[in-house]
Amino acid sequence: MSSGPSVDGSAQNAGLEAVERVLPVVRRVVGARVSDPHLAEDLVQETLLRIMTAWDRIEASMVEPYAIATARNVVATMWRDRDREARNRHRALDLSTPEAPEDQVVLGEEQAAICEALGRLGEQERTRLLAHEVSGQDTRSLAAEAGSSAGAVAAQLHRTRARLRVEYLLTMEPGPPPTEDCRPVLLALSGGSRRRQRDLGVGRHLLGCDFCARVAEPLLGRAEAREDELRVPVQGDADIVKARQAAREVAAKLGFAKTQTTLVATAVSEVARNIVRFAGRGEVLVETLSEPRAGVRVVARDAGPGMTNPQEALADGFSTYNGLGLGLPGARRLMDEFVLVSEPGRGTTVTMTKWLEED
Amino acid sequence: MSDTGPALVSILRQGSYLVASVHTALDDTQMLRFQHDLVERIGTDRATGVIIDVAALDVLDSFGSMTLRRIAEMARLRGAETVIVGIQPDVAFAMVRLGMGPGEVPTALDLEEGLTYLNGHRDGQPGSADRPPRRPQRRP
Repeated sequence: MSSGPSVDGSAQNAGLEAVERVLPVVRRVVGARVSDPHLAEDLVQETLLRIMTAWDRIEASMVEPYAIATARNVVATMWRDRDREARNRHRALDLSTPEAPEDQVVLGEEQAAICEALGRLGEQERTRLLAHEVSGQDTRSLAAEAGSSAGAVAAQLHRTRARLRVEYLLTMEPGPPPTEDCRPVLLALSGGSRRRQRDLGVGRHLLGCDFCARVAEPLLGRAEAREDELRVPVQGDADIVKARQAAREVAAKLGFAKTQTTLVATAVSEVARNIVRFAGRGEVLVETLSEPRAGVRVVARDAGPGMTNPQEALADGFSTYNGLGLGLPGARRLMDEFVLVSEPGRGTTVTMTKWLEED
Repeated sequence: MSDTGPALVSILRQGSYLVASVHTALDDTQMLRFQHDLVERIGTDRATGVIIDVAALDVLDSFGSMTLRRIAEMARLRGAETVIVGIQPDVAFAMVRLGMGPGEVPTALDLEEGLTYLNGHRDGQPGSADRPPRRPQRRP
């Protein structure tokens, strides 16, 4: 705007004179259209500059109309530019985050941990894993080298990967696992084998061992890929509602009638309440069964104080907290199968099943 | 009830009665809060009758039933008659299988029957409805 054609001294004087003349008009025109006083002043200045630049081309009688038209145009241009900017603002958005200073450190730590974990694997295991994962050698040629079958090599690689995950997680921990059970439990979780986890009593161990509960967190997702199973951690009142709604959902998906899902939900509500009241923390596992018939199995598990006499707790009217004493015996009546396992100091596990009624 | 989010329970005044409607599944803490609020309201509103509408409850387990019984007992001590309405058929089925019910608390099919019951009870005669609500025998 400012780099207009240069004007000589006398014309400049005439221009200044004219500016004084049209200034109130321009102010009025711009002020009527723009409320922000600072912005209005900017636009007035720009309008005056344009008038001065074009001064020698304007007839004296036309100065005022020219000033008014210019002021209007300047205002309109300003609004149009703003519109365009608002419309295109999203194009300028940069979503990529700049690399944080700690990224390098984290990367370094992870590399060290992976190296350490790899170092803890056996020589042969490591060589094979690296050959397969890094060099891209397929299982068939690996099997040919080792003189075994491709399937066996794949299974071994699977086990090696599971171990590598566990070793990696343990490397990140400051100390060694507190009990002898921890490592096998973590391996079973990492391998994702459900039968192995059941044999080892992984669920109960995780409830009792804080170390494993913390370390195994990234591994838990591996075992939960099954759609027909829901795990609800139970820690408070609100989780009782969550657990029974989860059970109802699973049962309904399987084709249970509404009456039956309510029975299951009520039973889950009772056993989940026992977890909250007596152990404080535990979990409810809802899974669907297809063998020998379609059904829902609920496992409610805690690592709380346990019971000295489980038979007593199953008797009607037995209550330790001023309740109706209907919790466990009631749940047993609601479900088709009911097993209570409890030992003092080792927690309580209730396993109950409801079969789908075929009609 | 809750300080945030939609109300879980609403307690409305209808003449000299309170109508308490449960809008969603309640956990134990919310249930106790409901009990507390309702018993308070009986005093502040000088209510002589309470209708608890539990149609929205997905489950009435031992704790839920016991809380309802306690509310009714406390209300009685505060001079108000309680009637529970809207127990869903499947919930009723589960309650029977579980081995419990609302005890001596009278029940009615729905809000209308509940009001009829309270009106009839206050006048000292059964309600004018075709099917009067169940009135359990008091123990001698």
